[in-house]
Amino acid sequence: MARSSSPARLVVALSVAAVLAVFLLYTSLAGGGTPSVSPSELAAKTGEVSLAGRVVGTPTGDAHGAGLKFVLEDIKGANKQRVTVVYKGSVPDLFRVGRDVVVTGTQRADGTFVTKPGSMITKCPSKYQAAKT
Amino acid sequence: MAELGRAALVITLGLSAYALVAGAAAAALGRRRLALSARNALIASFFSTLVAAAVLVAGFLRDDFSLAYVAGHSSRALPFAYKLSAFWGGQEGSLLLWLLVLTGYSALAVWFARKRARDLVVWVTPVLGGIAVGFSWLLVGVSSPFDTIPAPADGNGLNPSLQNPYMVAHPVLLYLGYVGLAVPFAFAMGALLSGRMDERWIVATRRWTIVAWTALGVGQLLGAHWAYQEVGWGGYYAWDPVENAALMPWLAATAYLHSVMIQEKRGMLRVWNVTLVSLAFCLSLFGTFLTRSGVVSSIHSFTQSAIGPWFLAFIVVAVVFSVTMIWLRLPQLRTTARLESLVSREATFLYNNLLLVALCLTILWGTAWPIVSEAVRGEAVVVGRPYYDFFLRIFGLPLLLLMGIGPLVAWRRASLRGLARVFAWPAAVAAATGVALIAFGAGSSIPGLIAYTFSAFVLATITLEFSRGTAARRVLTGESVPTAFSRLVGRNRRRYGGYVVHASVVLLAIGVAGSSAYDSVVEGKLARGESLAVGGYTLTYRNLTEKDAANATEIRAVLDVRRGGDSLGTIKAGKNAYSVEQQVSNEVGIRSDKLTGEDLFVIAEQVNDDGTVFFRIFVKPLVNLIWLAGLVFVLGSVITLWPDAREERRLATRYATVGERRERTATT
Amino acid sequence: MLGAALAVAVVVVVALPFLREPTPDSDALHELDAAERERLEAEEARDRALAALKELEADHRAGRISDEDYRAVVGVLRRDAAEALRELDRVRAMPRGGTRTESAKSA
Repeated sequence: MARSSSPARLVVALSVAAVLAVFLLYTSLAGGGTPSVSPSELAAKTGEVSLAGRVVGTPTGDAHGAGLKFVLEDIKGANKQRVTVVYKGSVPDLFRVGRDVVVTGTQRADGTFVTKPGSMITKCPSKYQAAKT
Repeated sequence: MAELGRAALVITLGLSAYALVAGAAAAALGRRRLALSARNALIASFFSTLVAAAVLVAGFLRDDFSLAYVAGHSSRALPFAYKLSAFWGGQEGSLLLWLLVLTGYSALAVWFARKRARDLVVWVTPVLGGIAVGFSWLLVGVSSPFDTIPAPADGNGLNPSLQNPYMVAHPVLLYLGYVGLAVPFAFAMGALLSGRMDERWIVATRRWTIVAWTALGVGQLLGAHWAYQEVGWGGYYAWDPVENAALMPWLAATAYLHSVMIQEKRGMLRVWNVTLVSLAFCLSLFGTFLTRSGVVSSIHSFTQSAIGPWFLAFIVVAVVFSVTMIWLRLPQLRTTARLESLVSREATFLYNNLLLVALCLTILWGTAWPIVSEAVRGEAVVVGRPYYDFFLRIFGLPLLLLMGIGPLVAWRRASLRGLARVFAWPAAVAAATGVALIAFGAGSSIPGLIAYTFSAFVLATITLEFSRGTAARRVLTGESVPTAFSRLVGRNRRRYGGYVVHASVVLLAIGVAGSSAYDSVVEGKLARGESLAVGGYTLTYRNLTEKDAANATEIRAVLDVRRGGDSLGTIKAGKNAYSVEQQVSNEVGIRSDKLTGEDLFVIAEQVNDDGTVFFRIFVKPLVNLIWLAGLVFVLGSVITLWPDAREERRLATRYATVGERRERTATT
Repeated sequence: MLGAALAVAVVVVVALPFLREPTPDSDALHELDAAERERLEAEEARDRALAALKELEADHRAGRISDEDYRAVVGVLRRDAAEALRELDRVRAMPRGGTRTESAKSA
C-alpha cells in the first residue's frame, strides 16, 4: 500500500536545509569567532584575537584618557609569558591585580597589545575554590 | 551539625538509589508492594534533603564558620536576607538547592499522579530516582556543602554583586524551572518504558510544564533586570554562556508547549514531542553544567572544578537513555494522522517549532563551539554578539509574526481566501503603524522597524480575538460586555491565557527593539558644573557624596537632570566599596519615565581623585516594557494554569476506571 | 543521634508497604491489559474528534472561519467523530476476562 508522503517531512527537510544554508553563509562571511589565546600563544597569531590572562604588576594610566596600561600573564602552564596591554574604555568593577581578564584586540609590532575599546570582561572570583586546590 | 547534614545527604543518596533500582525492578516484574516502597523512598528523599538544607540554613544564620561553605560565602556583617540567599551563592549550595527542588517536585509528582496513572508512576519513580542519584552523588562524594575547617573569626562575605533582592529570587526561580522540566521528561520516559503511548503522560504533566516554563522565563527576566541595574553596563543580556544556558531549555520548552497542543488535538507529532521534552531536559542539565563547572569562560564561571566530568557523564547518560527509549518505541509512537495542508494551524505550529528549535540550536552551537573548538582544534574561540544578534533576528522576527498568524488559522486546512479576509484588518493596522513609525524616524533601524510592525500586527490580532469572542458570546447569551468577556476567558482559559502570554512576548519584543535599536549614548569626563547632553536630556554634574552603610562605603556623584527646559530632579550614580569582601561594585543611576517607558541610564565609570568623574550616559527608549512584559507573562500563565472544573471532571471520568481498578486475582 | 533517627525513620517509611501487608492476596501490579488500553485510546480519540467539532463550531460562530471553509471541513470532522464513536462502541462491547466492569462500581 503506497503511503502518501506527508508534506510535513518535506517542510522539515527544507527547513533544516534552509537553516544550514543561512548558518554556513553567515559563518563563511563573518567568520567562526575570534580565536582565544593566552600571552604565550600571542606571537603565533595575527589579526584580532581574544587575549585571556591574569593581571600582574601595577596598572598605570587612565582607561578614559590616554589608556590603561597593565601586564597580562598566562593563567596556566609552565612557560608563562607576559604581554603589555593598553586598554581604553569601561573597566569592569572586578578588575584588579590577580584577576583573570579577557580583552579583544591586536598585537602591535612593538609587542604591546592594543584593545578594542570596552572589550574587557573579568571572571567572577571563586573565593573558596581557589584556596582548596 | 555537619555530620547530620552529611548523614542526611547519604540517606538521600541511598533512598534515590533504592527508588531507582527497586522501582525499576517493581515495574519490570510487576510487584505492587515493591513499587509502593520505591515511591515512598522517593517521597522520603525529599524530607532527608530538607534536613540537609535546614542544617545548611542554620549554619548560615548562626554564623557557623566551621562549615567551609558558610565561611566562604557569608560574614557576620551580612544582612539577614543575604545570609539566607548565600545558601545558593556557591557551587555546593546550589547543587543542594537543585536536589531539594528535584526531590520536592518528584514527591509531588508521584503523589498527585498516583490514582490516575498508576501504571505510569511505577516507571516514573525510577527515572526521577535516577536523576536524584546523580545529584546526591555529587553532593556526597564530590562537592559537599558540609566540609569543615577550623573556624575563622569571620567569613569571606558574599560577592557584592549577589547582595540584592534579584539574586535572592533569580536562582530559585531558575531552578524551579530547570528542575521542573525533569517531571515531564520523567513521565515521557515512563510512558516509553511502560509502552503506554496514550495521552496520560501529557495530561499529567501539562501544568508542571507550564509552571516550570513560567518560572524559567521569569527567572531569566529577573536575571536580565539584575544585569541591567546591578552589573550596570547599560544592557540586560550579553549572550554570556550562562545566560544562554537558561534560554536554550526555555526555547525548547516553548516549542514543546506548542507541539503538545497538536498531539492533543490531532494525535500527531508523538515522536517529535518526546524528543523535544528530552531535549529540553538535557539542555537544562547542560545549562547547570555550564554554570557550575566553569568549562566555558564567562563572567559567571566558577573555577574549573571536579564536578565537570561527572556532569558531562550525567548528560551523556541522559541523552543516550532518551535516544534509546525513543528508538525502541518508535513503532508504537507512529500514528496515521497526517499533516493535510501547509496552510493550517498544525503547519503554523510546526513552523513555530522549527524556528524555535533552530534558534535554540544556533545558540547551543555558539555556546558550545568554544569548547568543541578547543577540544578538536586545540584552539579556543570566542563567539561574539553579532552572531547571536543575526540569528535572533532571522529566526525571532518570523516567530513574532507567526504569533499573530497561528491563532487565527483553522485546523487541518485553511483557504488562502479565508485567511486574507481574517488578516485584512490586522495587516492594515500593521502597515499604518509602519508608515507612521517611519515618519517618526524609526527607519534608522530596519530590524527595529520590522519588529515594531510585526508587533502591531500581533497586537491587532489579539485584540480582534478578544473582541470577536466577546461579541459572539453576547449574541448567544445577551450578557453585558464585562460579563461576556470574563466568561469568555473563564471558559477558554488555555486559549485566552495563551493570548495574554503572546501579548507579553510582543511587549518584550517592542521593549527589546526600542532599547537596542533606537538607543543613544554619550560619554565624557566632567568636572563640577559641567554638562553632557543626550537624547533630549541635559545632565549637569553637581557634587560627590560619601556615606558609610552597613558593610560598604557608598560614593555617589549627583547630577541635575533637565529636559527641554524643565527640571526633572537629580540622579545619582557611583560606586560601593565593600570592606569585608575587598571589592568595588558599580551603582548606576536610572530614571524611568513613566509615560514613555524610556530610561535615562547613568554610569559613573571612573571617580578620579580630583573630583572629576568619567560618565557614560544612555537613553534607552521603551526598555521598561520588558519588565512590564514579565508581569503580563505571569498573568497569562496563571490564567492558563487555573483549574477548570469541567475539564477536571471530564478527565476524571475518562481515567477513573484506569487507575482505581482493584488488583485482579492471579487466576485469570 | 539525629542522623541515626532519620535513618531509622526512612527505613520504616520504605518498608511500610511490606509491614502493612505481610501476606497479601496478590502482589501483582495492576497493569492495563490490551483491551483496557484499546478502550483508553478509543476514548481519547473520541474526545479529540468531538472537541475538534466543537472548536470548529465555535470558530465559525465567532467569525474566525468563513462559511465556505466551514463547509469544507465540517464533513470530515463529522465523519471522524462518527468513526471514533463506532470504534469506542466496538471496544466497549468486547468481552473482558474475569474482572468487574466499571458499572459494578458505585453509580
